[in-house]
Amino acid sequence: MPATVTSISPRRTSGPGRPQPPPRRRPFRDSPKLILAGIAVLVGVLIALLAIANGTSRFSPDFLSEFVLYALSAADLTMLAALLFVLARNIIKLVVERRKALPFARFRAKLVALLLVMTFVPSVLVLIVGSELIRTSVDRWFNAPMEEILTSANKIASDYYHERQMLVSDHAARIARSLGAVDLSGTNVRPIRDLLAPDVTLQRVQLVEVYRVTLQAPAFGSLPNLEPVVDVAAPALPPGYSRAAADRLAAQALSSGSTTPGASETSSIESLGASGDLLHAAAVIRGKDGRPTGVVVATDYLTGELAVRSRSMSQAFEKYNQLRVLKRPLTGVYLSFFLGVTLMILVGATWMGVYMAKRITGPVQMLAAAAREIGAGRLDQRVEPQSHDEFGSLVEAFNSMASELASSRRKVERSTIELERKHLEVEGRRRYIETILERITTGVVSIDAAGTITMINSAASRLLTLNRQIIGQPAFAVFDRIDLQPIAKLVAGAGRAKDEAPAQEIAIARDGQELHLAVAATALAGDSGAPEGVVLVLDDVTPLIRAQKVAAWREVARRLAHEIKNPLTPIQLSAERLRKNFSGAPPHARALIEECTTTIVGEVESLKGLVDEFSQFARMPSPRTVPSDLAQLITDTIALYNGLFTDVSIEQRFAPGVPLVRLDPEQMRRVIINLVDNAIEAMERRGRIVVETQLDGANSLVRVVVADDGPGIPPAERDKLFLPYYSTKRRGSGLGLAIVRRIIAEHGGSIDVGDNVPRGTRFTIELPC
Amino acid sequence: MRGAGPDITVTPIARDGQLLVSFDLSDGFTDEVRDAIQSGLSTTFSYDVELRRSATLFDRTMASVTVTATVRFDNLTRRYQMSRSFDGRVEDARPTDDRNAVKAWMTHFERIPVSATSALEVNGEYYVRVRAHTQPRTALFFWPWGGAVLGHAKFTFIQ
Repeated sequence: MPATVTSISPRRTSGPGRPQPPPRRRPFRDSPKLILAGIAVLVGVLIALLAIANGTSRFSPDFLSEFVLYALSAADLTMLAALLFVLARNIIKLVVERRKALPFARFRAKLVALLLVMTFVPSVLVLIVGSELIRTSVDRWFNAPMEEILTSANKIASDYYHERQMLVSDHAARIARSLGAVDLSGTNVRPIRDLLAPDVTLQRVQLVEVYRVTLQAPAFGSLPNLEPVVDVAAPALPPGYSRAAADRLAAQALSSGSTTPGASETSSIESLGASGDLLHAAAVIRGKDGRPTGVVVATDYLTGELAVRSRSMSQAFEKYNQLRVLKRPLTGVYLSFFLGVTLMILVGATWMGVYMAKRITGPVQMLAAAAREIGAGRLDQRVEPQSHDEFGSLVEAFNSMASELASSRRKVERSTIELERKHLEVEGRRRYIETILERITTGVVSIDAAGTITMINSAASRLLTLNRQIIGQPAFAVFDRIDLQPIAKLVAGAGRAKDEAPAQEIAIARDGQELHLAVAATALAGDSGAPEGVVLVLDDVTPLIRAQKVAAWREVARRLAHEIKNPLTPIQLSAERLRKNFSGAPPHARALIEECTTTIVGEVESLKGLVDEFSQFARMPSPRTVPSDLAQLITDTIALYNGLFTDVSIEQRFAPGVPLVRLDPEQMRRVIINLVDNAIEAMERRGRIVVETQLDGANSLVRVVVADDGPGIPPAERDKLFLPYYSTKRRGSGLGLAIVRRIIAEHGGSIDVGDNVPRGTRFTIELPC
Repeated sequence: MRGAGPDITVTPIARDGQLLVSFDLSDGFTDEVRDAIQSGLSTTFSYDVELRRSATLFDRTMASVTVTATVRFDNLTRRYQMSRSFDGRVEDARPTDDRNAVKAWMTHFERIPVSATSALEVNGEYYVRVRAHTQPRTALFFWPWGGAVLGHAKFTFIQ
């Protein structure tokens, strides 16, 4: 017997305030007690049918046709209805299940159909054959010889009775006629007895009873009164004889004779059971005037054996005829028996087939449904096992699997949460590092073990003038550029070096300027010591080097000014003393002295001016910044050039919305004058100068641009422009642009030089705002 | 009693404060019935006589009486023993050897009292329904029910 698995249900976790649902009750139809009771009822009905079938021979035909046939037909119809109901219900159910594409619907339909066919075919065949046998058997009951024998036997007995009845009637009539002349009203009955005695003595009749009509007037509608007069009986009459039947017959004869004169005779048969039959015949005694005066009842006696045999023959004939008359219902009785058993088998088999199919597919359906639920992620689904057979074990295994799955899923979920947390943490760190890498001015380039560039930050991209598209390309190809080849050597050396190599300074040209980079290549190694790549760190040390140079030059200027300025005054005083002392000298000598001393004093003055500039460069004060209107400052400064250079035009363009900038107005005015002077000199006092301001709000910068359309500066000389004592002019100390850069640097800004479009030079100052 | 042949003629009359119903079953004494009687089976014609009044949904039965006529033939003595009963009470019994008398005994009934006229509404419309069936039945196998013969007669009670 397959397992009984009736339901799947999610396993709920109990908690405070959460009532446990009541356990699911087993469906009523799955109750073993009910099944056993049903089987017992079926067996009981079957036994009852068999008992009734065995007892049909003892039942009367009319009982069989009136009661048994009805009961069987009702039972058959009930079972047929049950069969049709079970079949229709399950067929509809199977069709619906198939339309809904429920799992195992097709298998279940096939199983039910197979079981039904296996049951129906033999049952119907047996029913057909059995029915035909019953019909044939019933037909054989009524064969011609048997009917002829029974009819003849009944006719013999009946004729015999009829003849004896006729004889008795004749005797009664004869006696009545003979008594017509006798006065029945008298008290002397001897003459009557004498008259009757010969009939009894000669055994013509066994009993003669004479009644006389009383004179009392009868009431309307009632029979005339009769009074027994005399009776003569033979000694052979059985002891159970009574007068009652003769009295009734006499009254009946008198009644019918009174109303119908021709029908003055009647007869009856009184059965004495095993003692025999009495044949009564009554005749009305009529007087001379034709009026009834009495009634005579003659009785003949048929002995017990004769009567019993006659009755038996008649009963056999009647039974035969009754069977023939009730042939169809009796056939129906036996067919009903057979049909009932067949239907019972069909109902039982159908129900059992459906039940078995359900019991077989039910647990599998439950498991399939639970598997789908689990597949959908509802791992708390369980199947409730209700048996301990193989299906029960399967269900237990399934539930264990579901529990393991649920446990594993919980672990996975916990691990996933932990991983997500770590991932977020790592992602945060990555973004943090990425932000740092993007924001720092130090360039970083990562190269993996295969020599492929995996990362380059903005600073490195800017310093090395490489775009981000180099990511994924081989480092040796990227650093194969002439100016980057020193880096390629560092990368190669880092891969081979055992210890961390110190940073190296390399110079590369960028936009015509020399860029000094401190590059450190660090080899990365994994936990196992295997190389995992190289990280390049680049620092722009150009400003540092420039500052170092400026500082060095400032020191040189300070010492130079100190060493040169000290002897200048004595030299100048000595020269003036010589000119004074030799003012009285001869004109030729005095002219020579005058010329020499004048030259000495003039050159000393020139040297003093040079020394002053050196001193100013070396001892430039810190700027005293105040919020200033840059446009106004530029306008005021450019106004100094009005009318000085007729062939030079100075155009001013001010960007709107430029805020006040904290700067030292005097130093900034000097910067602008220096740049404008340089431009005028470069244009040889003929051309166009543009001074403009630009606002870079994104970077909080204000740019001041001084552009000319002069001959421009070769790129190779641009980096040297801001070094002290470098000048392209025939005159000048070469400290102007060095001072300008220093002023701008001390304002927190920067100055750069480039080509102007379409020609000329373009100085760009960036100041924080 | 099967087929379209049998019919019951019903005649109600009101006399002496009683509703009397006479009815006659024609073509009901079939060969099958005769065979059943001649075979010695106790054969009964049962008549349910109902006085009914029409209603919208279900007609109402005002009064009813069940009349049965039974006959049994003795093949030995060739006599019929007949009896009649009303609502289960045997009212008459007699022997006969006349087949026609048997037929009349079984199928013809005169003035059967069904109800007192005091229970009837003057000018009310009624009908008497007589339903007859025989026993034993010689119906076909598997559907032994049915086979009753119906007859009815409408009348308006006028006092």
